Amino acid sequence: MSTLWQKDIHRGDRLFQFVLRACAIAAMVLLLFMVVNLGYRSWPAFKVFGLKFFVSSDWDPVNDQFGVVSFVYGTLVSSALALLIAVPVSVGSALCLTELAPRRISAVLGFLIEMLAAIPSVVYGLWGIFVLAPLMRETVQPFLGKYLGWIPLFSGPAYGVGMLTAGILLAIMIIPTILSISREVFFAIPRAQREAALALGATRFETLWIAVVKSSVSGLFGASVLGLARAFGETMAVTMVIGNRAEVAVSLFAPGQTMASVIANEYAEATTDIHLAALGAVGVTLFLVSWLINSTARAIVSRSERRGGAGGR
Amino acid sequence: MTSSENSNVILEADKIHAWFGSHEAVKGVSLSAVMGTVTALIGPSGCGKSTFIRTLNRLHEEIPHTRVEGQVILEGKNIYERGVDPVGVRRKIGMVFQKPNPFPSMSIFENVAAGLRLAGISKRSLLAEVVEQSLKQAALFEEVKDKLKAPGTSLSGGQQQRLCIARALAVKPPVLLMDEPTSALDPISTAKIEELVMELKKDVTVVMVTHNMQQAARISDKTAFFLMGELIEWGDTSQVFTTPKVEKTEQYITGRFG
Ligand SMILES: Nc1ncnc2c1ncn2[C@@H]1O[C@H](COP(=O)(O)OP(=O)(O)OP(=O)(O)O)[C@@H](O)[C@H]1O
Ligand SMILES: [Mg+2]
Repeated sequence: MSTLWQKDIHRGDRLFQFVLRACAIAAMVLLLFMVVNLGYRSWPAFKVFGLKFFVSSDWDPVNDQFGVVSFVYGTLVSSALALLIAVPVSVGSALCLTELAPRRISAVLGFLIEMLAAIPSVVYGLWGIFVLAPLMRETVQPFLGKYLGWIPLFSGPAYGVGMLTAGILLAIMIIPTILSISREVFFAIPRAQREAALALGATRFETLWIAVVKSSVSGLFGASVLGLARAFGETMAVTMVIGNRAEVAVSLFAPGQTMASVIANEYAEATTDIHLAALGAVGVTLFLVSWLINSTARAIVSRSERRGGAGGR
Repeated sequence: MTSSENSNVILEADKIHAWFGSHEAVKGVSLSAVMGTVTALIGPSGCGKSTFIRTLNRLHEEIPHTRVEGQVILEGKNIYERGVDPVGVRRKIGMVFQKPNPFPSMSIFENVAAGLRLAGISKRSLLAEVVEQSLKQAALFEEVKDKLKAPGTSLSGGQQQRLCIARALAVKPPVLLMDEPTSALDPISTAKIEELVMELKKDVTVVMVTHNMQQAARISDKTAFFLMGELIEWGDTSQVFTTPKVEKTEQYITGRFG
């Protein structure tokens, strides 16, 4: 009787293993298929432009000139801006929620913030067009221009739409992601560690720093990378507020364009084969850049974990 | 409580009550510790030993919805007096917990130096000197002297606990509280820590919770027996273990309940 039962478990295990393996293989095959397909579609563009595609910022469909640099620039700068704004805000609020706010309030706010992550990005985009862009044009950009205009980053006319606006909107969109993961990271830190700091005569603030923040560094880094990944791929909302002009401009007020937004913008209207292939090549570039950044980030996290800066577990 | 040693009393708890919400875990405990002695707190699980010891450095109040009543006199001053900063109190009273809790983000060196840094000391040579001295005091220096930069969490459990003792000693507190410091450790580490405590009492007054009767008998000068939040008996260790005045104490010590 008991051996029969064991045998059943064994068979169940096998089946389970088989299903898992099939899923894993399917996912890999699908990914491979996508890469091959994308590569095939974009091949004509690489054949015509070669490496020049990666170093030219000239994107001119009318004259069949295609280079990806301004879009890579747009993606990197808007995402970096978003991170720069979102990380301090998210980590700070996560700290307040876990360490300072009463538990009931913290739970309610935490839930609301997680709901924010579920809003479709086109809704953020609409809000960006109707609220954020006018606010930037009429208040924020003139203000920045007046006091910081001597820095090239804040020079030039205030269009409302542009790189800075896209960065801010992206920041708002990735805050829920980074915040909720940071909150988990802080929650996972054992009480004993905070008490160790308190018992040593640390103030509340010092306890936060040495017992909570310092031992969460790799977890917070991971949270930021996830936020970055979301900012990288974000298409709709960015397309709506970035201004969509293919150029590398120093000023953050100037319009720009990202890899994702140029694909979304032009794919439906591309008429020539080479234009379509070039858009495919932009997709390949986006894939490569995100892969590169993600794997670098992973390497950094695992190195810091091996060195002992454990992620609060 | 009044004795000839009264003048040397460094820490005195006076009618301490402690609550978790509406649950009274410590019900009017008074006892005192003379400078340079080891006091053992014994009693069955849940009788309020940890709660009591945590009122001595005002750590109890860090848990939400808790309350303390009564006085704790440290070096002649009531630490629960209005206006007394609990942070200052905790700098004078070190604490070692049941589970070793070194800071995972810090090296061995930084763990021991943490309290000094909190006190605003940043001179490298001074830190190095005190760290070495504290590690020696905690009988750990020989084992870690070549890897002070390694993470504190890379040590064994017993070593981590001695690291925590070194961390507590580095700021030279006059009083050291220990809550079952050896209950998570193997016999050899336990023996090391017991030896250490007896060595330490030259410089520090120790109040220690333990579940181990032999340990209490071996290393303490005074023993206090707790039961359901109350202090049942308190006196010289030899007296409590050989001729307890209260029947409950005798029953507990001889293993008839608890
Ligand atoms: N965080 C808490 N919240 C609510 N009640 C608690 C909490 N910690 C302890 N108590 C209660 O307070 C009482 C005393 O607990 P305490 O931890 O002081 O016992 P103890 O003597 O240290 O026991 P042990 O020997 O098991 O460590 C127990 O009834 C326990 O249930
Ligand atoms: Mg306890």
